[in-house]
Amino acid sequence: MMKKLNMDDRLAADRFDSDDEHAHIVIDKEACRTCTHRACTYSCPAERYKWDELNDVMTFDHVGCLECGNCRLVCERLNERRPGYDWNYPTQGHGFLSKEG
Amino acid sequence: MSEERFEVIVIGGGLAGLSAAYRLSKAGRKVLVLEKAPFSGAKNVSGGRIYTYALDKLMGDAWKDAPLEREINQELLMMMNDEDAVVIDTTTNAQGNQSYSVLRARFDKWLAGKVEEAGGLVIGGATVDGLIRKDGRVCGVTVGDEELECDLVIDAEGVNALVAERAGVIDPIRLENVAVGIKSVIRLKEKEINERFNTESGKGAALLGMGTANNGIFGGLFMYTNKDTISIGLVQDSKTWKENGFHLPDAMEALKEHPVIGKYIDGGELVEYTAHLIPEGGYDSFSEFCGDGILVTGDAAGLCLNRGYTVRGMDYAIMSGIAAAETAEQALTKGIFTKDFLSMYTARLEHNTLNDFKTLRRAHHYMANTEHLFTTYPELAIDAMQSLYKVDGSAIQGTVKTVVRGLPKVKVLSVAKDAIKGVLSL
Repeated sequence: MMKKLNMDDRLAADRFDSDDEHAHIVIDKEACRTCTHRACTYSCPAERYKWDELNDVMTFDHVGCLECGNCRLVCERLNERRPGYDWNYPTQGHGFLSKEG
Repeated sequence: MSEERFEVIVIGGGLAGLSAAYRLSKAGRKVLVLEKAPFSGAKNVSGGRIYTYALDKLMGDAWKDAPLEREINQELLMMMNDEDAVVIDTTTNAQGNQSYSVLRARFDKWLAGKVEEAGGLVIGGATVDGLIRKDGRVCGVTVGDEELECDLVIDAEGVNALVAERAGVIDPIRLENVAVGIKSVIRLKEKEINERFNTESGKGAALLGMGTANNGIFGGLFMYTNKDTISIGLVQDSKTWKENGFHLPDAMEALKEHPVIGKYIDGGELVEYTAHLIPEGGYDSFSEFCGDGILVTGDAAGLCLNRGYTVRGMDYAIMSGIAAAETAEQALTKGIFTKDFLSMYTARLEHNTLNDFKTLRRAHHYMANTEHLFTTYPELAIDAMQSLYKVDGSAIQGTVKTVVRGLPKVKVLSVAKDAIKGVLSL
């Protein structure tokens, strides 16, 4: 059987031209504390959202985002662009770049 | 780029946008396509297979030079549990040339080249972030600080239609009308793919499956043979997945360990891992298709159709691009860009696309509300088939008795009800 890969190894197969300065998705990591479902942590195909139990905050890394938009729909705050939350595509050709598609 | 005035600006250089631009450029119109990726194809992802009737309609025989992967002449419908599977294998040689597997990074780049050959301009790295309106009518777009004016905008920005949603042209897409697709492209030798799918070079298979690979959630598994890679992935209803709380990337990776599915990709090398949303709410999820000065096409308009055993979007994207171009041509000739005038686009869509969606109006609702479809029924199919082949020395029973043995797991009446509803919906 083909070996299972962890997310870093899966994303290592992809090409990115990441915008290190500007994140195209913004969340309020502390405010995520009051979220009742945290569906982003299991619905994101790239595992970009992780709940940090120790520090009681959400962690998020826009680098490696596949730009599918699923978080924009499972998260009410991103969906409604509530204060501290926003979802946009990267600008100037940054972000995920498909080789195969 | 603002020195030249364009008659039409197309937001998004995917299949819908490029199809519209190709037709308008051929007609001699001044068209600008703005693509957020550095070039067309560089952010596009599909399952995927493309149906050739739409390419014929778009460009006649010209598509035959396109970088397509394999002609699909074998359709596999799989029902599986954790260990086993029933596969219905249908060859479609007589239909000939209906569809090809495709990898969009190459195909869309090629199509963008055709648009440019026809005189259109495709600019990459240009993420449109807003619309310009004058007296309520859309007459341009903004890209950062830059304002670009035109007579008509064709919105082909895809499933996350941020520009059209935020400008109030369409209603925001809803969670219950979206599926999330997740895909690995796995490289093998061309010969290995031929052997595993019992096919030959140039020909190939499409597989759709349902059962425990997706934890019994509304959705399924897909596999497409490309030249020397296999596209394999899951498409899952976003809302049901959210409610059930399974880990999506893990479910995807678990496919490798399935005793039947795993064999197809064994020994392969992952060359790309991607994800994309699919608007599959169907007819009842549609929003406006046009506004004053703007037409909405492809995924942005929700033109994707999931029938369970086939999923289509690319052909509808192309057909809507053609309809948009034809409408734009008439609007430019008359110099009228009101919503009322542009609504002939909707009439064109009715004719070439929307009828399918009307026919399958209940398909999405049926699949979202028939949980047995993704749990019990695949299990039953495997049980029934295996029981026919079971030889363990016990007394033989008649075939009918052998097969119906598994049925008490669900009420016979509810099976009948699901079956009837399915026939009416799909």
